[in-house]
Amino acid sequence: MHCGREANDLKQLFNRKRNPNKIKQGSYVADFIFYVLALLICLITLYPFYYVVIMSISSPAEVAAANVTLYPKGLYFGSYKFIVKDPNLWSAYLNTIIYVVIGTVLNCLAAVLGAYPLSVKNLAGRKWVVRYLIIPMYFSGGLIPSYLLINKLGLYNTRWALIIPGAVSIWNIILVRSYFLTIPESIKESAFIDGANHIQTLFKIIVPISKPILAVISIYTIVGIWNNFFTALVYLPNEKLHPLQMYLYRVVVQQTVDLKKMALEDTRRAVDLMLSNIQLKYSIIVFTTLPIIFTYPFFQKYFIKGALLGSLKE
Amino acid sequence: MDTKFRRKFNKPKYQELDTGKSTSKLRSLSNNAQLYLIMLPVLIHIFIFCYIPMYGLVIAFQDYYPGKPFIAFDGSVKWVGLKHFTEFIQGPYFKRLMVNTFRLSFFYFAFGFFIPILFALLINELRDGFFKKFVQTASYLPYFISTVVVAGMVLSFINVDGMVNTIIQAFGREPIPLNTDPNYYPAIYTITNIWRTFGWNSILYLSAMASVDPSLYEAARVDGANRFEQMIHITIPSIQSTIFVLLIFAIGGLLSANTEFILLTYNPAVYETADVIGTYVYRDGLLGGNFSSGTAVSIITSTINFALLYIANTISRKYSDYALW
Repeated sequence: MHCGREANDLKQLFNRKRNPNKIKQGSYVADFIFYVLALLICLITLYPFYYVVIMSISSPAEVAAANVTLYPKGLYFGSYKFIVKDPNLWSAYLNTIIYVVIGTVLNCLAAVLGAYPLSVKNLAGRKWVVRYLIIPMYFSGGLIPSYLLINKLGLYNTRWALIIPGAVSIWNIILVRSYFLTIPESIKESAFIDGANHIQTLFKIIVPISKPILAVISIYTIVGIWNNFFTALVYLPNEKLHPLQMYLYRVVVQQTVDLKKMALEDTRRAVDLMLSNIQLKYSIIVFTTLPIIFTYPFFQKYFIKGALLGSLKE
Repeated sequence: MDTKFRRKFNKPKYQELDTGKSTSKLRSLSNNAQLYLIMLPVLIHIFIFCYIPMYGLVIAFQDYYPGKPFIAFDGSVKWVGLKHFTEFIQGPYFKRLMVNTFRLSFFYFAFGFFIPILFALLINELRDGFFKKFVQTASYLPYFISTVVVAGMVLSFINVDGMVNTIIQAFGREPIPLNTDPNYYPAIYTITNIWRTFGWNSILYLSAMASVDPSLYEAARVDGANRFEQMIHITIPSIQSTIFVLLIFAIGGLLSANTEFILLTYNPAVYETADVIGTYVYRDGLLGGNFSSGTAVSIITSTINFALLYIANTISRKYSDYALW
């Protein structure tokens, strides 16, 4: 396995200062064209989101007449008042939070436990363990054998189906291991001299100084679980246990939930207000995506770090 | 750049040195035992959830019924050899599924591969500052939105009374049944997936560009190179090897369409162009309960996929020094 130099690269990646500002002199015409182009691309990227938002807060009549294109018309938050009354939405939110929290903790724990021994230089049979980890990255049993296995283990249709199979990510183990290899041997040595065993060294010394990499894998795991719907689609028919994305799937894609019938006593009012299904759908999309959109810019640097780390060894 | 790349990706000659500190054999034995004990839960988990399903692939060669073990030695397992493979290959869906899967991945590759490069070149020409950051942040954003939300948005946009048709009608044309006409599905798939990933896929190029020594640009300017010439002679060569490696592996992924997205956006009216191998395995194999034949189908595609990846890796190793294994 590659260790030494790659470790150095990792170190550089984490300690890299931002590239100095390199202002290029050039014609203002070229500048102008570039800025216009960039602005255009921005618009293309963001407009669909913007459209969804303004549709969700415009007045139902304007939405029905397809009049809303550039800015919200007749500001109206009725559809939000309507969707927050659906208890299924809240239980789905809660379920997702449960899956995210447990899943992230388990993933970090597994990554640390799996990575540490592989970063110890004189571990016997290390080569074989690494091979054992690499093989599943290229070969997998695929959908059906996994499904049969989950069934046989009795995990089908329980919360555990969403938690246990995803608790270990080999990719994370490899990333964390690469990071551990950058930690100077002397730090571990001094712990051993003080009489610490491996477990103590790992959790008292190594883990606290590995926060940057743990932040990266946590962020990726959180977003991965938050956005995952396929696992629940396959393993979790019980709607009470559904995560947010499955709720969205039922409402927005499958359309098996008629939103207007959600809260019976409100049906008449909804019809009166001409609340269209589409508007309710947009409101739900906004409501469930906001946490990602608002937190994402703050964590962007971790995402980018993760992408670059991955490229070192993808 | 070339040497930097080499340094980054070349396999280092790592020497396993025993530090020589009089570790007695007994001590290193208990040392190893302790380390393996730490790893044990992870190793067991990987065995159960990765290796047992691999072993479960044997059901492709059986007539498997749920509830049975994958292999039993009491003669209850009906081995059928390659029956499921030949049935699928001679069956009515084989050609359509292969063509659809290839078409969708090829369109995504053909249009989606160069856009991130052009985008990175564009970003590189912007001055550092708020606007540049904002453009980057905005372009990465769709990558983090869930597939379900993207699919939901797309479905509502392509509806007869959706955003796209509103725009079409604004130009005085008749609305198009985008969601039921199979001719449009490849375009919808390609555009949406490029929209999702172009920003994110530019990150590697941007990082390669960021490592260019600024004095190169200065020297070029002194020599009278204009911005376009600087881009051609400095920026593009700096990302050449990145382009090459990503190109090879994009070719390696030519038979892997985005199954989850298709599953969310297709409907029986567009199966003709939208049904791919992944969705077929889910629908017919899993939901239809045809476990053995579904597994056979996924074995066929994973074999082709792996062959493509293997070829890509061999080429990459030969010409660029970067290899997965």
